Amino acid sequence: MLKKLASVRGILSILLLLSIVYAAYGIYYKVSYWGFHFTPRQSANIWTIEAHISFEPTGEPIKVALTTPRSSDAFKILEENVVAEGYKTSKNKEESRLVLTSAPKVDKQDIYYKIMLFDNIDTRGKIKADAPKAPKQPIFDEQRLAAAKQLLQLAQKQDGDAVSQIIRLLNEEPLQPAVQAYLPVKSTQQIMVEIITDLLSLKGIPSRTARGFRLEESKKALSPDLMIEAYIDGLWKIYDIKTGKKGLPDNFVLFQRGGQSLIDVEGGENSVIKFSVLKSITSSMKLAGRRAELFDQQRNFQYSIYNLPLAQQNTLKWLSIFPLAILVIVLMRNVIGLQTMGTFTPMLLAMSLVKTGFWPGLLCFAIIMVLGLSIRFLMSKFNLLLVPRISAVVIFVILIMQFLTVIGYQLEFNIAQSAVFFPIIIMSWIIERASITWEEDGALNACREIVFSLIVAIATYFVISSEYIRHIMFAFNELNLVILFIVMLLGTYTGYRLMELKRFRPLVKS
Amino acid sequence: MFEWVKSFASPRQLSQAGVLGMNRRNFDVISKYNPRRLYPLVDDKVKTKELANKIGINTPHLIGKIEYQHEAKNILELIGNRHEFVIKPAQGSGGKGVLVIRDYRDGVFTTASGRTIGYHEVYQHISNILSGLYSLGGKYDTAIIEELVHFSDIFKDYSYQGVPDVRVIVYKGYPALAMTRLPTKASGGRANLHQGAIGVGLDIRTGRALRGVCRDMPVTRQPDTGADLMKIEVPFWREHLMIGALAYEMTGLGYLGADIVLDAERGPMMLELNARPGLAIQIANGIGLVECLREIDNHYPEGLSAPQRVDFVLNKRAK
Repeated sequence: MLKKLASVRGILSILLLLSIVYAAYGIYYKVSYWGFHFTPRQSANIWTIEAHISFEPTGEPIKVALTTPRSSDAFKILEENVVAEGYKTSKNKEESRLVLTSAPKVDKQDIYYKIMLFDNIDTRGKIKADAPKAPKQPIFDEQRLAAAKQLLQLAQKQDGDAVSQIIRLLNEEPLQPAVQAYLPVKSTQQIMVEIITDLLSLKGIPSRTARGFRLEESKKALSPDLMIEAYIDGLWKIYDIKTGKKGLPDNFVLFQRGGQSLIDVEGGENSVIKFSVLKSITSSMKLAGRRAELFDQQRNFQYSIYNLPLAQQNTLKWLSIFPLAILVIVLMRNVIGLQTMGTFTPMLLAMSLVKTGFWPGLLCFAIIMVLGLSIRFLMSKFNLLLVPRISAVVIFVILIMQFLTVIGYQLEFNIAQSAVFFPIIIMSWIIERASITWEEDGALNACREIVFSLIVAIATYFVISSEYIRHIMFAFNELNLVILFIVMLLGTYTGYRLMELKRFRPLVKS
Repeated sequence: MFEWVKSFASPRQLSQAGVLGMNRRNFDVISKYNPRRLYPLVDDKVKTKELANKIGINTPHLIGKIEYQHEAKNILELIGNRHEFVIKPAQGSGGKGVLVIRDYRDGVFTTASGRTIGYHEVYQHISNILSGLYSLGGKYDTAIIEELVHFSDIFKDYSYQGVPDVRVIVYKGYPALAMTRLPTKASGGRANLHQGAIGVGLDIRTGRALRGVCRDMPVTRQPDTGADLMKIEVPFWREHLMIGALAYEMTGLGYLGADIVLDAERGPMMLELNARPGLAIQIANGIGLVECLREIDNHYPEGLSAPQRVDFVLNKRAK
């Protein structure tokens, strides 16, 4: 007898262990290849950047070289395509430049380059970079060197770190005379960046230009904004060249880092490059497919639930929380020993509470129960047959819900409107069961059953209402297998229930 | 706070006392010794009654049964000129849906509690039984009408209305523990412990009271009549145990509870059998079931007939 028990438990324990190993591997796989997160952050930023290059050919062979974003831990290029009729395209991977070549042409040329970027916000500012070479010292004449050194001294009175100080000094309103003398009369972003770079080099801080786009809904055609990146403490830190603020501004996407010109056109003149940027927010789950592609893991992804249409995914997301709720029920009944109305009724109640919100849901439940029970008591005087009686209760429950919803709407009392989320049939059965228990076993037992059911429902609610837990159970659905074997193992639990410790207390030998 | 924690026993204390818990009962005992295919034999009281009569166990006489709604109107015909009877669901449990009519005259029915009801209420009750209100899982049920038991006078002082009964737990055919269940005012005349009836543990060898319990608390007097519970000594004790032992032969259930009433004229009669008897009997006896079952497993002979098993238990030396 004991041997058999041990073997059942043994098999289940081994299966549980295997399922834990499997789940662990699954989680590792999904995190590293599909980019799943442990936190339920819903969205990831996807940027679609379109570059429109136009120029007039000069009649010589054409060669267009465009700097493109580099794929890195911070950036994932999801899609890249070029519309350039009659051009041969090649990619210089090392310099990350797109090179288009063609025989001489006559008409005005239009080339479109479109790229979809995934901006991995999480990694921003966290990626260590190798130290660059010591910056090249700018070639200044003596007078300018002295002026520059004066500026550096003035800068120390500004707020912020060394880089911010210099940028702030150069952008001060009004400018100090020394600064004004140093800056050219007409300044552009490009000139500003060069000046800042030079000054930083004097201080021995390596820096580089960064091009990016500030997203503004109204503007479609943009020229890139320049920012400056300085290498400090092993990290490239980015600064706004107008305000000296550290870090990327919101709604800003980096397109290119480091020196190089953005575009070189040979065999053409009057070249213009215009960008349009579109930011779209997608769920990180949706993005997973793209990431899987990057890692050559597409087939696995296709056959996962995350590749289904969103509506189905939402249904499955809702379903994948059930096993955990069931585990709570099993614990409550077989380990704690609470007797509830129906096995899964508390779970269904908890599900409704998730939809209605906690307090509104409880209040609604209480109102429906009180009204329903009073009507049921009145009805017991009529001595109706069972099925018509329960049917009548169902109809009453529906009427109560309608009433609550209408009243709630008129009084702008949102709480009452959540009534519709309670499962009608379940509510009717609770009312019927409660009233029968009331008549047969007394009010005490009836109330106890309702209260126990509610306790279990509330416990279940707190487990499944957490957005975090819901996300984990869906994103890492292997965990459901673990829960399955835990539940099965609990099926062999022969120890005392918590409530029995109290109940059988009189039997303890003193 | 500390006092509240003290009201719990530790699992070790309970296991030292040999207490059988619900989980262990289900996993180690019921699922091992009570194959599910045997359940219908005890779940349906009509079947149980037929089997019992075949093997020679006394049960209240069956007056008639009603299986379909349209037959419910035949109730008066079935009753004929009887003045007392009991209507109960064939598949009910825990005394639910039992209607005791102790006097029926001129179309007026008087129930055990003295309430008078009319034909319509009786009809209604039967209809409820048929539609499955009292059966497990709400299955369609049969209503059975049987003779009223005139329970023996010896219980008169100990129970408030209702029918007191004796529950015997039978393990592998050996009576293991016994108690008598006495209806109280609080239990509404029903002999169910969770409704507030008193349980009095009985010495399995003698049928004498060991100790009383009401709502899991020790009691020594019946709260409604004030009678001393410790003076209870159930007569025809051997016959009580014989019913239990024979129930094993009759059903094959290795672990069962036999509910027995003592009729003033016909002696002990089996009311129903239970394949999942509750655990409160341990509290009523102050004895854990685990030790009882283990002792039967290890020290009781196998292959004895029912009378031999009963004699074995009766002649066992007191501990």
